[in-house]
Amino acid sequence: MGRFAVVTLLVAGCGLATAAATSAHFDASGRYTHRACPVGASTRTDPVNVVFQSWGTWGRAASQIESHAAWTSTSGSDQHFVDHGACSVQHAQRASGEGSRFHVRLRGQHWDPALGWAAAAAAHHEDLVLFPLPCGHAVDANGPGGSGFDQGRDALEAAFAAAGHATSRAWWGNTQSFKQCDGDYAAADGWMLFIGLHQVNHA
Amino acid sequence: MTWSFVGTCASAALLLVGGVSAGRVPAQGPPALFAGDNVDGLPLTAVLRGGGPGYVSFVYGDCEASDDVGCAPPVEVQVWPACRRYLGLYERRSPGPPVEHGVVRGVPAAFLDDGTRIELQTAMTTVVVFAGSRSRALRVAAALRAVDGSTPPGVALPAPGQGALAGSAPC
Repeated sequence: MGRFAVVTLLVAGCGLATAAATSAHFDASGRYTHRACPVGASTRTDPVNVVFQSWGTWGRAASQIESHAAWTSTSGSDQHFVDHGACSVQHAQRASGEGSRFHVRLRGQHWDPALGWAAAAAAHHEDLVLFPLPCGHAVDANGPGGSGFDQGRDALEAAFAAAGHATSRAWWGNTQSFKQCDGDYAAADGWMLFIGLHQVNHA
Repeated sequence: MTWSFVGTCASAALLLVGGVSAGRVPAQGPPALFAGDNVDGLPLTAVLRGGGPGYVSFVYGDCEASDDVGCAPPVEVQVWPACRRYLGLYERRSPGPPVEHGVVRGVPAAFLDDGTRIELQTAMTTVVVFAGSRSRALRVAAALRAVDGSTPPGVALPAPGQGALAGSAPC
């Protein structure tokens, strides 16, 4: 291998290392899930409204959602998350049942110097709409207690806080309205919930 | 501007929404600005009221939702009371890309989500425009007008009221 090739490889290697260092953080720019890839504003489906942190790998998040919220069903359609410009399908989903229910989709993200291991999540409460026209699951419309998106986030906050997990909120402003299959609209209130997870899963 | 006055403006706006069922229109709300009964080739299709935060939303165009999969309408204009939503919220430390600040229609504005969301601080409200692209969002912002006709499209919007930028204005 010639000297020029070695230098080229070194430079390329340093470039990759630098890129990895600068991208090794939680990417908060993807504030919605998407129905498909590639993504755009027209493919948005749900707001991201929960971030699991500390030991917030997606597997731990799913396990502890089952333990603390008793959302154990894995049924539901796939959605996609954006992380550092890459669109990827969710890693997991959990729901509280099959009919009207709470439902959350999860996607693990980069390790972050401040947050630790993190997973983005989109939680909501949805009704199973059968009348007047059966259409399936629809997120609860806006109401005095918030939309179904807010209800799902709040339910996780209550369950994890009751189990001693640290929680906090940050303003993301991702309040775009989403039309549901029953014709109603639902929008998040723009406040994203952080939930700290511990390393050990529950039995 | 008090919220009771804004509620009156909302009623005026509803008179303009000929294509929207009166039964689905909120009885009260804070819209002082909207984008007219058509914007960028899209008709006004719904007027909504946000639950807890107390904002009013104008939805333009339509989209097709299905079982378990909601959809984003092409354009939406949300009008929030500045006491609940204000540009100063983005100065708080939180994970996320830096917010691009600028001036739109003569008032402070913030560009988020690659410019598909523009937030304008005017009078005692924060107007949030959602669109599919930055260029469309700017066209919608250019079309904003007062529901009582006091501010036509294209002209400078009223400057932010006292405390509006920092969120210290009373609700």
